[in-house]
Amino acid sequence: MIPDVVEAELRTGAVQNDHLRAVLDADWIEVIPLDTPEHLSAFAYYEQRLVGADGRNVGECGVLALAETMAHAVAVVDDRVAGNAARGRNVEVRRTLGLLCDAIREGLLTVPLVSALADDLMRDSYRLPFGPGGFARWADENGLT
Amino acid sequence: MAAAVGMARSSLAKIETGARGVTALELVAIARELRRRVEWFVEPGPPSIVSYRASRSGVATQVIDDELDRLARDVEFVVAEVPELVDGQPGQQPLPTSMAAADVLAAKARSLLKLSAREPVLELSRLVTSIGLLPFALPLGEGADAGTVLLRVGGVSVVNGDLRVGRRRLALAHELGHYLIADPYTTDWRVASTEADALEARLDRFARALLLPEADLRERWAQWSAGGDEALRDVAVRAGSHYQVDMATLARRLGELELVDGRQVNEIRGVRTKKADIVEKNLVVPRELEPISLPRTYEQAVLRLYRGETVTADRALGLLLGTFDEESLPDRPEAPESEIWAVTS
Repeated sequence: MIPDVVEAELRTGAVQNDHLRAVLDADWIEVIPLDTPEHLSAFAYYEQRLVGADGRNVGECGVLALAETMAHAVAVVDDRVAGNAARGRNVEVRRTLGLLCDAIREGLLTVPLVSALADDLMRDSYRLPFGPGGFARWADENGLT
Repeated sequence: MAAAVGMARSSLAKIETGARGVTALELVAIARELRRRVEWFVEPGPPSIVSYRASRSGVATQVIDDELDRLARDVEFVVAEVPELVDGQPGQQPLPTSMAAADVLAAKARSLLKLSAREPVLELSRLVTSIGLLPFALPLGEGADAGTVLLRVGGVSVVNGDLRVGRRRLALAHELGHYLIADPYTTDWRVASTEADALEARLDRFARALLLPEADLRERWAQWSAGGDEALRDVAVRAGSHYQVDMATLARRLGELELVDGRQVNEIRGVRTKKADIVEKNLVVPRELEPISLPRTYEQAVLRLYRGETVTADRALGLLLGTFDEESLPDRPEAPESEIWAVTS
């Protein structure tokens, strides 16, 4: 599931990055509008911590607001501040890399592929607790292969 | 508005009347168009602002009201995360019912600010933060001189940074008066010119008494004048610089203490400090409350929230009112290696 604000970010992004259309077209992704008072109140809580004048990070706010107002939902966000903001709130947070590790364990993805992806994430200024190539090494040492 | 946010006019009208709800997506667009934060639509904000708004329903808000609303929310958020930012608030002082009572309030303020009876009030904007009042200077052009709103603990003042420095300090001193008598919400349009309003006139007196303490001014004025080789204007320039007040305020104060006569009051009021005065008399030019200025303690608290990853860089820059750019923020530490388990699980 993605909240309406993430869908809007994807639509804006798809103008320049055509591959994002794959997400918009995926029939297994459901778009949920954030329209209850609980949604909006939670959204405002995260906005206070994540959103500045340029309006970036609205998507993270939407994901966290949606997840905390649904039973058994897990929010997938990579921003560390977003993760910190969710602490003490009734919401479980996971990072993309966690999902990718699940996929490795289930044999859907390979370690080299995920390691390359992790390196890509780092290039986009995601701060990860290891350097380039570090994921593969860690996966090796911890028997993920 | 509907066109700007890409909605049908009828939908927007229904949202306004409450006939239909609003989604976060729509609210983000509306907020952006009105240059508000989503929070502004969803959270009521500090109680003092809520009751002020309720008492003035139907009256157009002014720029200063918007700035106070925004800053009060920002400061309350930061204080909730960094409580030491506002250490406490002095107990409510009685409303001054006479000019003499205004002088008593000024003496009380001096003791709260830990100033001796004779010290000039240098860096008033820094001193007031020690008693929980956070002053911001913003360019408000022809708008109000200043305004103050009480928070749950402490308060926020906005001073019009487009005033000259002496007037900015006078305006803040006046706001301190409102803060000490625990006025929940106040905006002041022309400080020191509201004779009609007795309380405002007494708070003007309070401000003058705070910045120009009587005993000290009497003594120094006598000393400065005694030399005899300086004209009245030179003595006034010296006094204005010593206490960092504008000439109108100095003239008024000297007049009310009967240190000068009516003709001299007018003469002093017309004095302009020249560059030659600054050089010849070796004066320091104060820069207090130049717009945009924020309380140092507030800036420190925001940077702490940024370092501690409680707020994003974007949000930190917003809380700092655009006085920083991303480059000027501190470097955040590398993610610790132990965190790999949190990232991958």
